[in-house]
Amino acid sequence: MEQIIALVFSLLNDALFSAIPAVGFAMVFNVPKRFLPYCALAGAIGHSSRTLLLYIGLPIEWATFSAAALVGLITIGFAKRHLAPPLMYAVAAIIPMVPGTYAFNTVIALVQLTAQSENSPELTFQVISNGLKTVFILGALSVGLAMPGLLYFRSRSII
Amino acid sequence: MYADTQNEITRQVVRVAQLLLAYGADSELVEEISQRLGYALGLASVEISISSNSLVLTSLVHGRCITTTRRTREHGINMTIICELQRICLLTEKGVYGLNEVRKRVSRIQPRTYPKRYLVPMIGLSCASFCHLFGGDLAASILTFCASSVGMFVRLYIAKHHFNLLINFAVTAFVITLISQLGYQIPFTETPKLPMAASVLMLVPGFPMINSISDMVKGHLNVGISRWGHATLLTVSSVIGITMAMQLGGLFI
Repeated sequence: MEQIIALVFSLLNDALFSAIPAVGFAMVFNVPKRFLPYCALAGAIGHSSRTLLLYIGLPIEWATFSAAALVGLITIGFAKRHLAPPLMYAVAAIIPMVPGTYAFNTVIALVQLTAQSENSPELTFQVISNGLKTVFILGALSVGLAMPGLLYFRSRSII
Repeated sequence: MYADTQNEITRQVVRVAQLLLAYGADSELVEEISQRLGYALGLASVEISISSNSLVLTSLVHGRCITTTRRTREHGINMTIICELQRICLLTEKGVYGLNEVRKRVSRIQPRTYPKRYLVPMIGLSCASFCHLFGGDLAASILTFCASSVGMFVRLYIAKHHFNLLINFAVTAFVITLISQLGYQIPFTETPKLPMAASVLMLVPGFPMINSISDMVKGHLNVGISRWGHATLLTVSSVIGITMAMQLGGLFI
């Protein structure tokens, strides 16, 4: 029981703190003001569903892929309702799932590797493992987002 | 249909396509909207070919073709304009707008952006939330807020003076990393690494990346690859900025 309460609390925390970046980046992309709450909603659902999938024990790449596909599905629903392009909501919504720490660790290890005179296996391992994680999570994000369009809306237009 | 009418319709359709590309729509959307707008205004067929910095459009009515080429330039992402153009297309399809209304609406489109006084604190808050999501403590989040607010201010300032986007990203990343290193210099936070990772996330080229994948999986391979190249260049230039700031700060060397 306590576990479930802690899980719900952490999911709510996730939802709140991923809704803020979704709105912030939607403002950078100049999304009209009346659509900003929908960007926040899609961002919150996406990130907290990824956290839930990670809690269940899925690897982070698959969790990201499924969460991005879910975001794609939700944003197509929004797009149908408001007659607006679905990517408008979706790009802002997946920004909180971008693998920032992995990318940063890769860069740091690369910089250290460049500064050193001899080859160090630990740093090389860090570059490769963090870099691969970054690339695969980014790929999962963008391909997952395209999934609903590829599977269901194959030959019909969304709006 | 008279020749000058076809000319005028083709001009409006290609103008819409040009605006869509300039303000960051994906190729599939550009193709779909320009074709639907063309049919709604009475053209028999509209064929469009998009490359990384230009577009060619051919319209056909009664066995007469008009082909026209437009150069496109990047104007930054503006979803308000994309929405407006899509609304024009849908209303024309429903028969609400004729050619004259379309011309009037398209010529009236102005790129409006959110004012700086909202953008700067919102991006600061966004990056602070990233820091919190990565597991940073309160002091780290506050440092992230300061660093990325200053970074957004610098980015908007440089963009106002029409510098190259690559230079803009490098300088912004440099400034952000310079500020967010403070957690290492003055030990007031338990997690000094997270502000550095979280505050540069405002430079993630989200739209070019997602657009490039969605172009490539839908068959617009050359546009997709050129957008991918653009996103990669932007990332590399921010990495250069980060590296320079870290070497200046004497960390990780």
